Amino acid sequence: MGAVKTLPATAALVATALVTALVAAGCSSGGKSAAAKAPAKPAPARCAHPAGWQKLANRIGAPVYCPGWLPDPLVGQIGGRWNNIDSVSKDRSYLESFVWQDVDIGGTSGELHVNLRGYPGRQAIPICRTGGSDSRDVPCFADAHGTLHENGIDATLYTVNQDADQWHLLYAWHANGGLYTVSEHLAPPLTYKHLLRYLKRELGSLVLIRPEAAST
Amino acid sequence: MPRLTRRELLAGAAGAVGAAAGVYELVDRLAGPAPTRAAVGPPSPEQHLLDGVRVVRSDGIEVLVPPLHHAVVTARVAVDRSDLRDARRTLEAALVGLDGDYATSPAGLGVTVAWGRPYFDRFVPAAAARLIPHDRRADKSVLLPEERFPSDPPQVRLESNDVAILLRSDTLAHIDDALHRIQQTKVFRLTSIRRGFAGGGFDGKASLPKKLAVTAGVPGADLIPETSELFLGFTSTQKASMGPGAIANFETLGLVDLRGSDYFRHGTHMHLSHMDEDLEAWYLNFDFDERVSTAFRPNLRVAPSRQTVPEGPKQAQTEADVRRDFRTTGRIGHSASIQPASRLQRRTIAPDGTVYPKGTPIPIRADFNTLDNPFTWSSTGESSPTPAAGLHFVIFNPSGDDFRRNRLAMDGVLPNGPKLPLGPRSAGQGFNSVLRTTHRQNFLVPPRRNRSFPLADV
Repeated sequence: MGAVKTLPATAALVATALVTALVAAGCSSGGKSAAAKAPAKPAPARCAHPAGWQKLANRIGAPVYCPGWLPDPLVGQIGGRWNNIDSVSKDRSYLESFVWQDVDIGGTSGELHVNLRGYPGRQAIPICRTGGSDSRDVPCFADAHGTLHENGIDATLYTVNQDADQWHLLYAWHANGGLYTVSEHLAPPLTYKHLLRYLKRELGSLVLIRPEAAST
Repeated sequence: MPRLTRRELLAGAAGAVGAAAGVYELVDRLAGPAPTRAAVGPPSPEQHLLDGVRVVRSDGIEVLVPPLHHAVVTARVAVDRSDLRDARRTLEAALVGLDGDYATSPAGLGVTVAWGRPYFDRFVPAAAARLIPHDRRADKSVLLPEERFPSDPPQVRLESNDVAILLRSDTLAHIDDALHRIQQTKVFRLTSIRRGFAGGGFDGKASLPKKLAVTAGVPGADLIPETSELFLGFTSTQKASMGPGAIANFETLGLVDLRGSDYFRHGTHMHLSHMDEDLEAWYLNFDFDERVSTAFRPNLRVAPSRQTVPEGPKQAQTEADVRRDFRTTGRIGHSASIQPASRLQRRTIAPDGTVYPKGTPIPIRADFNTLDNPFTWSSTGESSPTPAAGLHFVIFNPSGDDFRRNRLAMDGVLPNGPKLPLGPRSAGQGFNSVLRTTHRQNFLVPPRRNRSFPLADV
């Protein structure tokens, strides 16, 4: 993956600040130019950084999906450099967000943003508020666009998503008695078709991490 | 489908105007052969009407099939006032030649020559003051000064072209031929060329807007439904939603005083604007039900993926309907909000005896999608080579005030009451939250007999 630039230290600081604002407002689509390429062959499904995911599974008392592959330079390390949200709600649902931004002089030119969610014990699509002056309840994922079978997962593609998944394409599936999602921001350097390839690869790399039996 | 760069798409566009004809050769190739059209008779007295328009059924609803290719040329008059009569003869000869060579239909060529206030003010002010029709309801000229509407961005350019020429055909070569011949008259100095396309998907194939948007790689293109008539995924030329026959003529509905003269009888008003369309926001932030609510009216239930929605008199919304929807949902739909202003509020009999039932639509739309940003070519150099999804909006109304009423209704200014409290470009305001108007101008469309330098002969 030599095509993606690495961030200078100052740019990384700016990126961190931008990421905070970005997630607060949902993802936005600015003008960007960098081009990232997916490797030709997917790596075997292997959790790259299992410790954090195991801790998460233990914390919520339910299985979680650890990404074996994320687009370079992202790595699926909870608490790592690109993990800007590590959140567990009262209902045990979780959101792990990984963001990279390429910041050139004058603006953001590229972005990669992947969210992984799990909703233990939940079958129905959750409800989100749209925000703004005419805020209302809407499904957090909507506009189904077909299904994908990958890595033993039967996932449905949703193109209209809310909150931290706004402007993302999202795959959702049921497993282990719960609902899981992986989504990624549709923004340069990714096109729609390119992003679908990335999401397929991300789905294919997921490794299920079960909670360890509680020690007495 | 090959992905082309904007440079390839626009090859020759920024060069000589004659070369601009090659810009949309790709469109012609993607469009395939022109569809079969009915034979037509001699041209009608109206310039703005096309004969031989095919009617098909889409989702069980009658739809008018628009011409595949469109262009609008804007210009300033390039001759002195003293040469106006010669210019009139020269232009008319070129237009008569086009009439002779092409039927006034999508299979042939539709030519509509429309004139702006700058022309009338600079070249024929006295005759214009005497003969330009007067809107009785507004107590104003039918040709109003340009204005910004509440949802317009402040940077909207109010244009001041002398003339706009609308060219429509299923065959791009016909448009290019017309453009060349008009240019050869040397009576105009072009200010812009705007090109675009519509339809092509009613036979089940990928439509031109879909193919062109994907080929150009504009954001959101992959989410446009395959056969969609326009970028936003819905059919907009339902037969029952388009003004029938001569309803938009100055003389038809009695709105307009022709000032005791037949000079502008069979004429109409044309508004021309350009708007950017944020397809990514439309398809990623609005689910299908919300797109239906936004395009048509809140809480309208439509089968998933349906593109053609009934828009007949039975579905026409009253002002009370729109206000009720707004009270209960905080939103107005695009179509619904316009209908209290754009549909006949009572049965009307035209001077020629034609009966128009209550609920009949008045405006005749001729809008088309574009990848212009904002124009194919512009004399001011404001056109960008980066493709952008947009719409060249063309509409014919019986007067400028009639258009104005329709456009204000879109912003919640309904005909009979206080403005609905909608913020500019708010999500509650239908399409306007994803459309951004860049340019506007009003024009007067004379009848065919007086289409060339109107009033220069009186």
